[in-house]
Amino acid sequence: MFDFRTRRKFILYTIMTILFIIFFFPLLYMISTSLTPNEDLILQNMSTIRAFFPSEIGLKNFSDVFQRMPFGRFLFNSLFIVSTTILLGLVVNSMMAFGLARFNFKGRNLIISTVLALMIIPFEAIAVPLLLITNRLGWLDSYQVQIIPFIANPFYIFLLYQFFINFPKELEEAAIIDGANWYQIYYKVAMPLSKPVLASVAILHFLMQWRRFLWPLMVTRGPSYRPLTVAMQVFFGEYPRLWGDIMAYVAMMTLPVVILFVILQDRYVSTVARSGIK
Amino acid sequence: MKKLLTISIVLLLTFVMAGSVVAQTEIEVWFHSGRGSEREVIRDQAQRFSEMDNGITVNLVKLPEGSYTQQVQSAAAAGDLPDVLDLDGPTIANYAWSGFLKPLGEFVPEEMEEDFLPSILEQGYYKGNLYALGTFDSGLAFWGNKEYLEEVNARIPEGVEDAWTFQEFMDITKRLQELSEVEYALDMKLNYGVNEHYTYEFSPFLQAFGGDLINRETMVAEGTINGPEANAFASWFQSLFERGYADPNPPGDTQFIEGKTALAWVGHWTFNQHKNALGDDAILIPAPKFMGGKQATGMGSWAWSMPSSTEHPEAAWEFMKFILQPEEIIKMTNANGAVPARESAIEMSELYKEGGELNLFVEQLQKIAVPRPVTPAYPTITSAFQTAMDNIINGADVSQELNDAAETIDEEIEYMGIEQGE
Amino acid sequence: MNRSNKTVIGTFLTPAVVLLMAFMILPFVMAFVLSFTNSRLIPGPRGTQYIGLTNYQKLVEDNMFWRGLKHNFYFVIIVVPIQTSLALLLAILVNQKLKFSKFFRTFYFIPTVTAMVAVAVVWSFLYHPNGLINSFLTFITGGVWGGVDFLNTTRWAFPAIMAMSIWQGVGFQMLIFLAGLQDIPSSYYEAADIDGANSWEKFKYITLPQLKNTTTFVVISTTILAFRLFTQILVMTNGGPQGSTYTVMLHIYKMAYQRLNIGYGSALTVVFFIIILIISLLQRYLLGEQREVA
Repeated sequence: MFDFRTRRKFILYTIMTILFIIFFFPLLYMISTSLTPNEDLILQNMSTIRAFFPSEIGLKNFSDVFQRMPFGRFLFNSLFIVSTTILLGLVVNSMMAFGLARFNFKGRNLIISTVLALMIIPFEAIAVPLLLITNRLGWLDSYQVQIIPFIANPFYIFLLYQFFINFPKELEEAAIIDGANWYQIYYKVAMPLSKPVLASVAILHFLMQWRRFLWPLMVTRGPSYRPLTVAMQVFFGEYPRLWGDIMAYVAMMTLPVVILFVILQDRYVSTVARSGIK
Repeated sequence: MKKLLTISIVLLLTFVMAGSVVAQTEIEVWFHSGRGSEREVIRDQAQRFSEMDNGITVNLVKLPEGSYTQQVQSAAAAGDLPDVLDLDGPTIANYAWSGFLKPLGEFVPEEMEEDFLPSILEQGYYKGNLYALGTFDSGLAFWGNKEYLEEVNARIPEGVEDAWTFQEFMDITKRLQELSEVEYALDMKLNYGVNEHYTYEFSPFLQAFGGDLINRETMVAEGTINGPEANAFASWFQSLFERGYADPNPPGDTQFIEGKTALAWVGHWTFNQHKNALGDDAILIPAPKFMGGKQATGMGSWAWSMPSSTEHPEAAWEFMKFILQPEEIIKMTNANGAVPARESAIEMSELYKEGGELNLFVEQLQKIAVPRPVTPAYPTITSAFQTAMDNIINGADVSQELNDAAETIDEEIEYMGIEQGE
Repeated sequence: MNRSNKTVIGTFLTPAVVLLMAFMILPFVMAFVLSFTNSRLIPGPRGTQYIGLTNYQKLVEDNMFWRGLKHNFYFVIIVVPIQTSLALLLAILVNQKLKFSKFFRTFYFIPTVTAMVAVAVVWSFLYHPNGLINSFLTFITGGVWGGVDFLNTTRWAFPAIMAMSIWQGVGFQMLIFLAGLQDIPSSYYEAADIDGANSWEKFKYITLPQLKNTTTFVVISTTILAFRLFTQILVMTNGGPQGSTYTVMLHIYKMAYQRLNIGYGSALTVVFFIIILIISLLQRYLLGEQREVA
């Protein structure tokens, strides 16, 4: 006979485990395929349960990837582009959101509505004009062409705005009494208090930049500035496709994001702990 | 005065000599990076060419194949093309129409041009000008499983001339389907996905039925892609799936080598895969003679061309000439297994020369290969055909699908303002 | 308390405003202009010409556009509510103070971070007639389930894409809800405990109202992302079978990047933009969010 707490825990764990299987299952498929060195075996097992238990295991696909391309270079390019965009984006977007959330001025509603409208524009729709603009600026085949257009993002401005607008006035007023100006309030009060939302904005921004494909495809040429998504196209030209190599590549591409997520998660947990004390 | 003259002469000479050292022309070459072996060959060729004492160095840029066409299109839009690049056959016309490519006529000597396969020239010519020359072509035929074919007493054709007739082909298919080991008599390689390969591999059947994608004289689709011959073709093709002769959704790429299918309609690139698995049981069978004895097969591959924006056309041509030499062609085709583009290179190829195992591909290219329509509207033609075929395979109404395709194509041609003959 | 110091406001807004103007608004205005031309990615010999409203007339008669739009609505109506509620449930679940909840949270999020191209390929294998999902369904129904070619049947293809999209996208919304949940002061719950409220009452009277702005954001952003449905369609069905999974973004992509018809692609974009804008404004009005400085 369980007591109430144990039974609740048991139910929760069961649900979480079932969900875990549902969410992890296809990815396990990816991993086991990447570890199957024999391409014929992969093709034969593709649609069956045997795909999860390959009879041969090896790292050949991974070494193939490194042999076919300077993977390290592309990884560096992607990481550099994405981290620069996020850092600059956090500053620029949070400033704009703070400005919209904490001040009253003429045109404020217009700007908010514009930001909302901009969220809707799919990137594919403006890619060609943007190509013409950045070409005019002489930016083609560079890092900045992959960074600067993506720093300001209406999604994140809107998300941060939603959070800043909830801040109690009293916090700011207390800071003003202590002699702080608006910049100090932004930097020393608002930013530290919104760590969880900043962490999620960072993760979402990371994802969006990490996956970006159409744009780098249009603006990069040689391997110098090529990111991982474009480099992946090496596998998608000829038939038959080498699924082992593709899956090994994708697994290596996914890993940095998972690591980032695990690191940023600690941020959340510390926030939870702190709000418990409050 | 004399002194001044001496100094000027010395200075002039210094400049000239310095100039001749500096006058190393660098040309940028783009190519799609396919499989490793192909990449190694082109890298080696570029290196040997740069080391030659001709004052030209090559900056070779490999672009990933899966997105190559899009990258080149963006570069063209931005006015950012290199000195030499390779283009996929069916896209050449669009660039030529737009004036992005330099005609090669002034560079190519007549005897060199005559040495190329007719299919390579058909693909490279647009409005009477030659814009591209490939180092290789592709070959498309049936790969047969000899064991099964012998089991059903099928006649094995020798070459293009004595290919199966339509009746014979259908008869053999039916008997193959009855074999217990065979799940599907025919393998249409639908696992490649709905893309260019649909047009490459299925439009030859359409042409063997007497139809076509578009009327090549008037450049109008109405009445051709939805004409009676095309309808007959599409109904027949649909019936292959309805009758269970072909799998509309194959689980992988291995049906033929596992012996689950008996006849695979696919290109030269499967040669190694098939030989490794089936050995001498994998045999090549020419495209059958369909309606009125008509035969057709696919053709076309990557080809080299020169953007009109290049500042070094002479140097660019030197490089193209270098890689188009028979000895260099053969290095490439030995690596990727494709059909060498020049007759003189074919003679040097073990697989493709007279009596070689894959000579049938050459024979087909010389006699029955049909180029995909050379028109800037090709992207629309192929996508309309692909959509129609995909739907037809999945059981849609044949005549409606073909009418839709015709309408889409003709609308686009009118919208693009393509004039007759363009 | 001065909430209208122009210099201060200017400093906060300028960087983002300049960037948005240069790299979003300007290109969109250019796209609007291009929609009245026959512009092509690789222009023809006669260059780009002004063609008035031709593109918009073409659009009105373009069956594929309307069919795609219908599918987009269908997708939004089904996926947005399911995905949003599922995301909230997941967020609450992993926000429990349990051992390993961090571990589970990470794994629920992984599908979101995996390249869509790879995920879509894996699911194509799972959905295959002899694939694992069919095998599983046959197994648990004791053989009653006959096996379905999910991605090649007009009836099943779109629901299959929907299920896969929810699976892939729910981690994204879970994360935003999680941030929202952790923003609720725990003192509220403690006070409720003292008043003797049960879990459901706490959820209804504290959690939900406190998550109002978060929910608004999640619903609006999920709707927008749902309208952009594209990559999985391109990889898994390419709009088929028989157009049953065709969407507007796929249509725009095909027109602009396969047929290189930038002018027409731009016209499609402008119209699509206006439609989504109206829906988002409607949602915002209905969900009614806080607009003024607190």
